[in-house]
Amino acid sequence: MLTLGIDTSTDNLGLALIENDIIKAEYNLSLKRKHSEKLLPLMVDIFANIGIRPQAIDAAVVAIGPGSFTGLRIGITTAKILARIFDIPVKGISTLEIMAAGVESEYILPLLDARRERVYYSFYKLNYKENDYLPKTLLTAAGARISELSNILRNYKDKEITVIGEKRHEVIDHLKTNKFLVNQSAAEKNIPRAAVLARLGRDYIDQGQKDDIYELKPTYLKQPQAEIDWQKKYGDN
Amino acid sequence: MKFEDKIKNETEDIYILALESSCDETAASVNKNGLEVLSNVVSSQVDLHKKFGGVVPEIASRKHLELLLPVIDQALEEAGIRFEDLDAVASTYGPGLVGGLLVTLTAAKTISFSLNIPLIGVNHIAGHIYANFIENPDIEKPLICLTISGGHTDLLYFENLRGYKILGRTLDDAAGEAFDKISRFLELGYPGGPAVEKAARSGDKTAIDFPRADLGDSYNFSFSGLKTSVMNYVNNEEQRGNEIDKNDLSASFQEAVVDSLASNIIKAVKEYDVKSVVLSGGVAANQRLREVISERIEKYNLDLYYPKLELCTDNAAMIGVAAYYQYLEHDFAPLSISADPALKL
Ligand SMILES: [Zn+2]
Repeated sequence: MLTLGIDTSTDNLGLALIENDIIKAEYNLSLKRKHSEKLLPLMVDIFANIGIRPQAIDAAVVAIGPGSFTGLRIGITTAKILARIFDIPVKGISTLEIMAAGVESEYILPLLDARRERVYYSFYKLNYKENDYLPKTLLTAAGARISELSNILRNYKDKEITVIGEKRHEVIDHLKTNKFLVNQSAAEKNIPRAAVLARLGRDYIDQGQKDDIYELKPTYLKQPQAEIDWQKKYGDN
Repeated sequence: MKFEDKIKNETEDIYILALESSCDETAASVNKNGLEVLSNVVSSQVDLHKKFGGVVPEIASRKHLELLLPVIDQALEEAGIRFEDLDAVASTYGPGLVGGLLVTLTAAKTISFSLNIPLIGVNHIAGHIYANFIENPDIEKPLICLTISGGHTDLLYFENLRGYKILGRTLDDAAGEAFDKISRFLELGYPGGPAVEKAARSGDKTAIDFPRADLGDSYNFSFSGLKTSVMNYVNNEEQRGNEIDKNDLSASFQEAVVDSLASNIIKAVKEYDVKSVVLSGGVAANQRLREVISERIEKYNLDLYYPKLELCTDNAAMIGVAAYYQYLEHDFAPLSISADPALKL
């Protein structure tokens, strides 16, 4: 099965093509807001280099955030259209889960910068010792102040937690101060890697867990500001 | 095979899928040889934005993503066309709201990539202009075209359909923007153009004599002075304790806008030896504007064209027609093209 992974959720533009367990191509480019210009030319490049045609892909997998809404819509639109034209399954994967699935630790706290003193986080358990490489979600994605994390994770104080991603140094300091057992991971484990995304999507699709191409959308952890302001002014409807 | 090897010439049938998401309509269409519109699907979000008094970009972008596939599916189905039948795919790439534009532009790029067909990037304003030729394929050239919307007020000269010259544009507010601002100021509702026009219908257009901008010999426009005059008038009247007749005010304001638009058209008609005058853009739906221009061009023996009401609002068919002429000129976009929110004609 030839699976294409697309990630435009963060500054990292991720693009990977995997065939079964072989990585045919993987791009992880640190680009700021250039995803619109770069994504399709890079796809052309990948397919040309590998020497296959776009219609050969069997599945499209895409990161669904948290992340930049505009960035996310670029990747998701691309995945939807590919799935529609080639009639292939599509699967959206949390950007935080991609990060978690890239390390071999039992308890993983992946982080994305939510600006100021805040992060987006999710908390996973990975039973890698039993050769299970699909993270189990213990805490679903949300935004929080860094200072709140010790309370959010209070039930896991006796576990060894691997903290990865953006703002990890601040979060590690905070957790250590609050007597948590924390680990780090090597530099390359701190971004959502495109090959991991493609592999996760393929595994889920193999298990029969694909998404409806019409329903697929970004993880919107925040309402549009205009909506928040309106509700403040006029109440909840 | 590269798509360049598949490019057809004018004598063959050319099918184009066109997409549009620059503001608050998500739209898709299929046309054959440009002017033959096989389908034209528009899904409007206007109700979603009403309560905010204007289009909220993030809300619009979310909705565009949701509506993208359904409108494409419907456009193909109504046209009886499959993806494989398409010769090219087009999308608006500006001007407009960048988050929205990126939805259909990205979709069009992916379709171009997947089907190995050319991508055509269309200027939304050019789309509004080409909308006229759908209904009036035999329109006589050369022609003068006034394109007026919330973002634009441009006067153009067309020798033929493949190119145009810009004679003048607005120096400040666009005509539609002026309507919106006045509508908000008078609390008449949203969208502003139809709201002001509705109020004006029961008002006296000679009630207040608002000034027209004097821009000398140029074909340019200016509406910010008029807007200030309206606001000053209201403030003065309120200070005097007088009741404001919103209908009279709307009618007088509208008359001033219409008058300056019509005057520039007449000036251009006199200088260029044209056969037709064309109105395009959202404000072209204004009935009073159509009336005044028809009256004033009558003695020059010209035909006046304006788009059907449904084509005045944003739609994809107009993008498809502009795209067809670009196709004939081999004016294709690279996959690296990005949205340009401030794109000019
Ligand atoms: Zn428009």
